[in-house]
Amino acid sequence: MDSDPMQPSAAQPSWARRVNNSETAQRLPDGDAELMLQVRDGDEACFTQLLERHRNAVIHFLYRMVLNQAVAEELAQEVFLRVYRFRSNYEPTAKFTTWLFRIATHLGLNWIRDGRHEKGQESLDERTDGASRQVHDRSRTVEQELVYQAKLREVRQAIENLPSKQRAAVMMHKYEELGYAEIADVLRCSESAVKSLLFRAYESLRMRLAHLA
Amino acid sequence: MGCSLKKSVAEELIVAYAARTLSADLEADFERHLETCAGCRELVAQQRAVWSLLDEWHPLPVSPDFDHQLARRVARAGQSPWWHRRFGRWGWRPLIPVAAACTVLLFAFLLKEDDHAVAPGPGSQPQVRIEQQVEHALDDMDMLKQIGVDVSSAKPGPARKI
Repeated sequence: MDSDPMQPSAAQPSWARRVNNSETAQRLPDGDAELMLQVRDGDEACFTQLLERHRNAVIHFLYRMVLNQAVAEELAQEVFLRVYRFRSNYEPTAKFTTWLFRIATHLGLNWIRDGRHEKGQESLDERTDGASRQVHDRSRTVEQELVYQAKLREVRQAIENLPSKQRAAVMMHKYEELGYAEIADVLRCSESAVKSLLFRAYESLRMRLAHLA
Repeated sequence: MGCSLKKSVAEELIVAYAARTLSADLEADFERHLETCAGCRELVAQQRAVWSLLDEWHPLPVSPDFDHQLARRVARAGQSPWWHRRFGRWGWRPLIPVAAACTVLLFAFLLKEDDHAVAPGPGSQPQVRIEQQVEHALDDMDMLKQIGVDVSSAKPGPARKI
């Protein structure tokens, strides 16, 4: 009988350590920080480059946080404005994206905290003109489209029901592909706290979305 | 048969396996574990389902004038007065404790001033002494008149003890 590969052996480190090492190896050098240093020195073109690199990621992250495209864009403008305003004090002590997502998360969490009571019955992912509805895929039949939209509503509802910090952690992990350490930096908590947040969030999502699988 | 993994390690492996972020050798080992662990197999299936549902949630297109709006705001930020550029980012909220502290200090100062007005301070004591001395002098003169001494013609001499 084969031994269980999950059991650590003398020649092999424990699984927990191997998973952590695997995560650490994925970190990449930070070219954004160099651009930001040039922005600090007065090079406005580098700010435009940073905006082009990260604009969509920040807006999409905020959209999935606040579930409202107009608010997400407004908050994203504030994020980049703060980056610009703080340029003279910038020190590359952390990855640029960590700093960027820390600002975005801070603004997103504040908006959720301050605006939650105003949401009422209204579905937040709808603009008044309906333009924010998920882009229609012409390859789907009307029936398929209806099923798809219903499924998305449930996904959004499941996300909306997560506590805001869990939601932020899932968005960064799933869509921005940040590692545990970087999410911990963004949320200013320990790596183990991030893992705990993520695993509880995924557990909730598995339970809420099980019927759609 | 129960899972041989600690719950936290299993959770981490399941999430990473569904996200396909495990290294090749780790993934192969975990797949061998899955062959013998029905519980982890079930959780992996559920996690993959969640993962693909989340994949279907596509972001919306960004407004075409996003960059222009931002450029306008950046230009405005560059034109704002120096004090706003320096302190404006903190907003008005930090001013609340400062204002509260100033109010408390002002009240304390005013109360102290009132105390000075009610109780005579050290500066007003000489005035009170002079008035008392004048009263004593007048009393002395009355007493001398009563015993027949002509006060107006009396020559100044050394002070007498009464």
